[in-house]
Amino acid sequence: MTTVPQTHAAPQRERSQAMSMVERLTRGPSLIICIYLLLYGLYALQQPKALSASAIASLLNNSVPLAIAAAGQTLVVLSRGFDLSLAGVISICNVVLAVYPIEGPGGALLSFLICLAIGGLVGAVNGWLVAYLKLQSIAATLAVMIICQGIALVILDAPGGQVSEWISYEMTDRLWHIIPVSGLVIAALAVVWAITLRTNFGASLYAIGADEHAAALSGINTRRVRLITFVGAGMIYGVAGFMLSAQTATGNPTAGTPLLLLSFAAVALGGTSLSGGRGGVFASIVGAAVLMLLQKVLFSSGVSSFYTGLFQGVILILAVVVSGLLTRIGEGK
Amino acid sequence: MTQEQTPETRFAQQGDSRGSARVSRETISAIAVAILCMILLISARFVSASLGSWAQVETVLVLSSFLVVLSFGQGLVILSGGLDLSLPATITLGGILATSIVGSGNPEAWWLLPAILMVCAATGIVSAVGIVWLNVPPFIMTMAMSIIITSGLLGYTMGTPRGAAPEAAVALMKERLLGMPAPVIFLIVFVILGWLFQSRSIFGRYLYAVGTNVEASRIAGVPVNLARILPYAVSAACGGFVGIMLVGYSNGATLRMGDSYLLPSIAAVVIGGSSILGGRGTFLGTVGGAILLTTLGTIISALGLEFGLRTIIEGSIVLVALLLLREELFQRLRSMLR
Repeated sequence: MTTVPQTHAAPQRERSQAMSMVERLTRGPSLIICIYLLLYGLYALQQPKALSASAIASLLNNSVPLAIAAAGQTLVVLSRGFDLSLAGVISICNVVLAVYPIEGPGGALLSFLICLAIGGLVGAVNGWLVAYLKLQSIAATLAVMIICQGIALVILDAPGGQVSEWISYEMTDRLWHIIPVSGLVIAALAVVWAITLRTNFGASLYAIGADEHAAALSGINTRRVRLITFVGAGMIYGVAGFMLSAQTATGNPTAGTPLLLLSFAAVALGGTSLSGGRGGVFASIVGAAVLMLLQKVLFSSGVSSFYTGLFQGVILILAVVVSGLLTRIGEGK
Repeated sequence: MTQEQTPETRFAQQGDSRGSARVSRETISAIAVAILCMILLISARFVSASLGSWAQVETVLVLSSFLVVLSFGQGLVILSGGLDLSLPATITLGGILATSIVGSGNPEAWWLLPAILMVCAATGIVSAVGIVWLNVPPFIMTMAMSIIITSGLLGYTMGTPRGAAPEAAVALMKERLLGMPAPVIFLIVFVILGWLFQSRSIFGRYLYAVGTNVEASRIAGVPVNLARILPYAVSAACGGFVGIMLVGYSNGATLRMGDSYLLPSIAAVVIGGSSILGGRGTFLGTVGGAILLTTLGTIISALGLEFGLRTIIEGSIVLVALLLLREELFQRLRSMLR
């Protein structure tokens, strides 16, 4: 934009005002929310029970681990990186909770803190490798993911174990029979993100993703921001591992693997640019919800579960193509 | 002001180090990988008496033939600036089609195998079209393709693959020629052809150009679209071929037969000194990386370690390779040599 001559500035501004409607639709989570509502309407038509509190809660419980994981992945993608260690962190948290269950609400809190610590530690290693040793994020987190999966296998070599009852009951329950606890966890995460957006760190995150060199020149400590991004993302994966364990109530050393590819799908569906600097956490959370709802809709339409992946793949490609097109229209190019 | 140098003398003093700089980086990593391989194979004798023998070397070479073929395709894609995450799916596609169409009913119809490779290559072309014309990031496109193929195969086999290995595949993996296992001879031929293609053909040079800078290559007259699409087709065909090889080796296909090969295929390319960003790397380095990974795998399994510890060691090796291959380190080495 800096190369546009001054004389073009005025028409440019008019045009951007005319485009603001399109832009509002294409940026942020509004588009994906519309898709979710449409899909939910379709689901409700097929399954009239879909509007009951228990159906909504069970759908939320299903979607929450992926939604949280996708939220963490979004942070890294926004900073123009990819984080494959997601699968490893979630697997480690899951087996730790299943092999060393701590009963009661205090135990649950302790378990939660352990998950945060595991995620933060792995994230710190990622951040150090990527920000300070300048490794490619895909390659570095790939290696870290393999190591984490090994650690998970050492802790528990085959599916088994039992997550503490307090966690598996309370975290999947509804408060006063209406509000699902897992929904509250998502809401808390959204609040944290909304606050982060208002901080220097939030602004720096977008700046680094858009243009790291320019960000460094304008005085941002890019290394530190990148490190914090990975640590934050790791801690969020820890929460995802905690919620997944509450959901499955048992341990599996490869529990996180299926979430890895879907987390990228959710981020892409939410319209976050995979080349960094554009998008947001809310949209990814809704993107994750769309992916999980889609499975339900396909199942209730009588499509064999064999073909779920086929639809997920096609939708992922369509989402990326359409969001790319909309961005281009939104920018008036 | 009398000290001022003319451009000519400055040029003569500094020398044109561009060519040598590129060569030295790649040669260093190729040599380092080869030396490491030899040390490992020799020191393996201390682990177990059966290791380090010629028979052991043969086994390692046979086992590494899978990874070499795969990482050739993956290497081309990475060289052209992409990434192929659909390899596990194309391996399984090749394996399942080979057992279900050729293996059951007409096991002698070897001429159906190239047709299977064409089917695999077609999936690669679909990925490439999405990447080149629809601007989908390679990572996402091949991942989506992988999910689509896997789910299609799940539906096609209804969850249980049937059939037996085609005779041609069994012959390729189990026969002996000139006193060596056939896969080893195949490996040697494949490595020579692959090296000629990547380093000595015009098309190979196009891949380096496209991987370095697409726009500059377009202006320079490189057929950019072809150079970006073909690697995915080759990679998918390589995946399908490895599927057929695996079927010949283990006499059957499973729906998850390709899963464990994705990470090693990328790791072999990275360990071999290629840049994961594209535009840099040699096939010989990649071959070294693939053989090194396989050697390590056999030694680790001979140690009798549990699977989790083996995984940790493998991951650490990839990490160490990445750290050793950093740009800074090469610059320091180069300045020490000069």
